[in-house]
Amino acid sequence: MILDRFKLDGKVAIITGGGRGLGRAMAVRFANCGADIVAAARTLDQLNETRALVEAAGRRCLVVPTDVGRSDDVNAMVAAAVKEFGRVDVMVNNAGIGEDSFGKPIDQITDNEWRRGIDVNLSSQFFCARAVIPHMLRAGRGKIINVASGYGLRGGKHNYMYACSKGAVLQLTRSLALTYADNHIQTNCIVPGIFPHNEAMMKFFKGGKFIPIGRPGNDEDVGPLAVFLASDASDHINGELIIIDGGGLAGGVVPTGVAPGNPA
Amino acid sequence: MADQKNLPSGLRDYSLAGKAALIVGAEHPVGRVAALTLAEAGANVMLASQDVGADESLKQAARAAQALGVKAAARTQRASIRADLAATADGAVTALGGLDILVTALDAPLYAPVETIDDSAYDRVMDENFKAVWMALQEIGRVMLQRGGGSIVAITNVMAERGVPNASLYCAAKGAVRNLVRALALEWARRKVRINLLECGWTEEPGSPALEAGEFSERLIKYLPYRRLLKPEEISGALLYLVSPASSFVTGEAIAVDGGLLCRV
Repeated sequence: MILDRFKLDGKVAIITGGGRGLGRAMAVRFANCGADIVAAARTLDQLNETRALVEAAGRRCLVVPTDVGRSDDVNAMVAAAVKEFGRVDVMVNNAGIGEDSFGKPIDQITDNEWRRGIDVNLSSQFFCARAVIPHMLRAGRGKIINVASGYGLRGGKHNYMYACSKGAVLQLTRSLALTYADNHIQTNCIVPGIFPHNEAMMKFFKGGKFIPIGRPGNDEDVGPLAVFLASDASDHINGELIIIDGGGLAGGVVPTGVAPGNPA
Repeated sequence: MADQKNLPSGLRDYSLAGKAALIVGAEHPVGRVAALTLAEAGANVMLASQDVGADESLKQAARAAQALGVKAAARTQRASIRADLAATADGAVTALGGLDILVTALDAPLYAPVETIDDSAYDRVMDENFKAVWMALQEIGRVMLQRGGGSIVAITNVMAERGVPNASLYCAAKGAVRNLVRALALEWARRKVRINLLECGWTEEPGSPALEAGEFSERLIKYLPYRRLLKPEEISGALLYLVSPASSFVTGEAIAVDGGLLCRV
């Protein structure tokens, strides 16, 4: 049955940034579809909350406190995952930061803010792919899911590190996809639009009223897309960017809510 | 319909149990796959075609859908295309009790140097690849808007995204569909009709130049990331994601099912 091809039974998925937001929502959804989870992030307390949710769904969850911007941390995390479960079927590169330099005029952004952002948003995805691909090659298959952003395709005022790192994630996706197409490792990219995780973000994005569909994204919206890309149902999809943004990137040359040709 | 009572909770968003789906262009291999995929996921389906000669094959596909436990009907064109599409939309509502999903699988390739394409060939290619989709979205979209919402997937191919020599008009028509979908996604976003595209890579289907022996097909296959053509049934996962509530925050988007071809330089 077609619905069975979306099942993740017996698969092991590493999810970075798995302690909150999109990462936690994906972890819980994956567990609800039958996967065991390795949740990696900096904050142990948040990881433990994710573990409780995954275990409540009847699956196993290994938590590994990890700074994904450091390759030695990433290598140790992937080794721990393989030691615990013996395999890695799905690598979800979800961890990301934006807050530190977001909105600052360019002359106030420090070297460290720039470099730290590039490390966490971009280098982490390279480090994780580099660490899991040997295991996927041995298994003869695998799925890598990179999380970018609509800012990876469009610019934003005072938005440098974030837009650049997320744009580079799209390119990392394409090159991984072409390189390992022969090895049955698919790499794809989720491109979320506006997903406010707190009140300040909701206010900054004006409640999402400029989003064509009329609401901002909920973390749970991404789960079914991630499951699809992690599952056998997406085996012929590779190197693809899938935008999940309520229609925003389909437009952009007129403001949302007005249209030429409408009565005044 | 196959038993969905024991479906894991994480999979329920992909289920189409009880939904009504209309497939236009169901005589094509990908259209047939679309109809059977949606039926397998629980939708009641109507298979429609503008090709009167497809009557028997549509009926046979409808029987295959019924064997999956859903309602299924087949309908070939009975009037001018616009009148027929409007009647087909109404017919689907009557036969299936609603109209939640539309899939268009319309396709008519033309591979020829631009200077050899005369006006009648132009009309045929634009009519079958673009105008028929345009009319289907107008006429069937109208019914969905009146009924309060729906989900639409237009199946096209990677020509919507790139140029191909000797396919100038075909690429233009596919590209037109791609941008039509962006505009309608925005126009209908607040009226609860979502519309997306599924773009096939080079596909195993009758008449494809990729299946004719010769330099073109030999070099093409080596160029494809998976070194093989797409089988029509391999679109089913992406189609089900896009038509179902699983993609409720996705509109105006295209998913290429091409093994990575669009990543290539």
